[in-house]
Amino acid sequence: MSEHAVEVNNLTKVFRTGIGNQYVVAVDNLSFRVEAGEVYGLIGPNGSGKSTTMKVVLGLMAASKGEAKVFGLDSGDIRARNEIGFLPENPYFYKHLTGAETLKFYGKLCGIRGKKLKARVEELLEIVGLEDAAKRRLGGYSKGMLQRIGLAQSLVQNPRLVILDEPTAGVDPVGSREIRDLILRLKEEGYTVFLCSHLLEQVQEVCDRIGIIFEGRMRREGKLEELIKIEKQTAMTLENASPELLAKIEDLVASEEGASIVETGHPRTTLERLFIQIAERRSKEKASAEKKEEAS
Amino acid sequence: MSDEAITPRAPGKKVPIFSVTRVWTIAMSTVTQLVRMKTFYFLLAFALLLLVVGNVSFASSPAQALSTLKKVSFGAIDLFAWLFAIVATALLIPRDIEDRTLYTILSKPVRRGEYLLGKLAGVLVVIGVSLAVMFVICSIMIIWKQVGYMADEQAGGGRKEDIAASLALIAKNGFRIELAAAAYASFLKAAVVAAVTILLSTFASSSLFTIIISILVFLVGHAHSMATDYWLRETDNSMAVQMLLKVFKIVIPNFQLFSFSEGIVAGAALAPGVLWQMTWLTAGYLVVFLFISLIAFVDKEF
Amino acid sequence: MKKLLQKIPKWIQILTFLAVFGIVRAPFEDDLRMRLVSNGILLPPPAKDALGQLNQSALMGTLGGLRSIVSSYLVLEAFDHFSLKEWEELRSDYRVITALEPRDENHWRNVVWHIGINATANMEVDEKIPEFERMRRFNEYAVGAIELAEEGLGQNPDSAIIRLQLAEVYKEKLNDSCETARVYGEMIGLPDSPGYVKRFHGYYLAQCPGRENDAYDHLIRMYRESENNHLPSLIIHIKDLEKKLDIPFALRISDPYPPLPGQGRAKPENPDGVPDFTDPAPK
Repeated sequence: MSEHAVEVNNLTKVFRTGIGNQYVVAVDNLSFRVEAGEVYGLIGPNGSGKSTTMKVVLGLMAASKGEAKVFGLDSGDIRARNEIGFLPENPYFYKHLTGAETLKFYGKLCGIRGKKLKARVEELLEIVGLEDAAKRRLGGYSKGMLQRIGLAQSLVQNPRLVILDEPTAGVDPVGSREIRDLILRLKEEGYTVFLCSHLLEQVQEVCDRIGIIFEGRMRREGKLEELIKIEKQTAMTLENASPELLAKIEDLVASEEGASIVETGHPRTTLERLFIQIAERRSKEKASAEKKEEAS
Repeated sequence: MSDEAITPRAPGKKVPIFSVTRVWTIAMSTVTQLVRMKTFYFLLAFALLLLVVGNVSFASSPAQALSTLKKVSFGAIDLFAWLFAIVATALLIPRDIEDRTLYTILSKPVRRGEYLLGKLAGVLVVIGVSLAVMFVICSIMIIWKQVGYMADEQAGGGRKEDIAASLALIAKNGFRIELAAAAYASFLKAAVVAAVTILLSTFASSSLFTIIISILVFLVGHAHSMATDYWLRETDNSMAVQMLLKVFKIVIPNFQLFSFSEGIVAGAALAPGVLWQMTWLTAGYLVVFLFISLIAFVDKEF
Repeated sequence: MKKLLQKIPKWIQILTFLAVFGIVRAPFEDDLRMRLVSNGILLPPPAKDALGQLNQSALMGTLGGLRSIVSSYLVLEAFDHFSLKEWEELRSDYRVITALEPRDENHWRNVVWHIGINATANMEVDEKIPEFERMRRFNEYAVGAIELAEEGLGQNPDSAIIRLQLAEVYKEKLNDSCETARVYGEMIGLPDSPGYVKRFHGYYLAQCPGRENDAYDHLIRMYRESENNHLPSLIIHIKDLEKKLDIPFALRISDPYPPLPGQGRAKPENPDGVPDFTDPAPK
């Protein structure tokens, strides 16, 4: 039997507010599954119940009704936490520890010790590119560095499931791109990734399946391509097409009954892609200038 | 980033019911946190205080000067121990909750009881080390002054029997190895205070609230045995007052019992078995208060 | 069981466990406290009236288990009163100090010294106060010091230093040789007594009317105990008593009167190698 990485069945979470019988339903009869090996995005606006759902899966909160399971284990079971690596939204780490100490700390909490722990810490620091900052305290890290160390600690015990809470929030486009690349790599390596975000366009590029949650309820769920494709429309991008070719295509569409051209024009890049292009170009210029200096 | 391969590990590793390693890891992280908050700088202030008290004295005799030095220094040790226990412990859990560091810790396979025990152990390690250092500083100061006074007496001249009497009095008020038990008494008191503070911090909303309530509990814990002696014997007190005193006595630890360091410093002989009994009593308090803290903390939602 | 516990509110569970633990430990703690107080390891609670005299910070310090620090601070304050000759304030401070630390014999010794010696000395010379008032206060302070010493001895029955100070008051201020002798006699055999108290008991007994025979018996016993006791002052007192009591010559000691400086006698020999000037000359 193939078990789901995450299985949420009829999850309801109610919070009492104030005195008396006032309460807020944060999650209302939510059900979804995350298959092993896929990247699943739970998206929704702020206050939609994403964080609450994630905390129940992490075992930080108990469900009012329903259940949540991780690889068949109840989410409150401590064994379930062995399966999970969690990257929080903000750097919820001890600022008085250095990068290496942070990874050692979490490694020991997961039962890794001695030379194995030392090797693992070195490996993770290299993966996230923080070898030079390993001995610096987290209080002196930038936001991007904190995200990277957070990612490293989430992988310290080689979990099967990685939960990312708003992984690209507050990170610059270059950092966002790196995180997205890493998520894709994790997927290639066989990890299951469950991420929560409200940055829809960034999620779009990495997720296999998406759940859209709003006011505590799942509104839509399914494969990304199926959700976002506009039925009955086809997009085609041409390069170096002559006006004559374009006219021929327009005539062809007009001759087909029921078909029509919805929109034509030059496709636009995104500001994000432009930013990345500039950064990459600048990086290449610097590298070649350095090479010239070395040669001379 | 490099292209190092990451291999997901095999599923289903067993998690022990209780892991000393995890407790010790959290304890050492707590020690690091407190040390990097520069708490040990207090020891410099303590050494300075002893230098002042040791050299500026209004005592009428060397014996009394030594007695004053011992009382002030062990009083400072006691004060530091319980005050630090309250403040340090009160900062730990509420700060972890406010900073949400607790999320990342509890998202690992860490039991909540291990977390509480680790925090308490960390505070006690720092207090224990501090008290040991303070005791050494104190002992050096007392011995140094004692040797000086004895030399002055011998050089001062006078009848042999007078000199012998003075030397005996100086020795009586000077250093004794039993003074280590006085420092240990302060440690036991601090341990119970820390356990009470941990309990309060599991349901308190902020560090400040925890500190204030802990200090109040400590003062009441000291006062209620006095109050019991004074007021429960007076028959014209209302039933309400008597009930209230009895409730305090049952619910709040008797901190006055842990103040036996004063008697040792004053020169009382340590009866055999007292330290063992107090240690067992302290252990009882720690176990019960940690258990009760766990009741409050185990289902706490973050 | 888990479901049952889940139904009970947390605060009730917590209070229940605290109460059960409190009830279980109470008799053990009460017994332990009684034993610790009786052994002198735990200080008894301060006297109720002493608490009333504490200012708020001193009270907080006391409640916080810092009696020794509070009393050390009050000793400094008392010293201040001493330097300003504020005897009532000083006595008031020491009332609190001795209430906080009743088993510290140094405090009792100090207050007896301040009131019995310093305050009375001040009354002897302070010409700002009328003579009749000075005399009245002198007596009041001397008697007050004796009462304080007796109170201190009630808390510290084996204290030699309180008795030494009390003896000073009887000797220097009240010229009461009988009481002086009594106090020195009580000190014989106490752990911290200086060696000379045994001799001084005899010397002052000799000056107490009607006790000369007791004094002679005591001093001659000392003389016969050891040659180390053949100090000049002892020999002088014995010889004077032999004359006074008309002891037969055959039973008298053979030592001559030892020489004392300033009294026309040759320089005394002294086994200590130091002139024995501090022993009281017989009257």
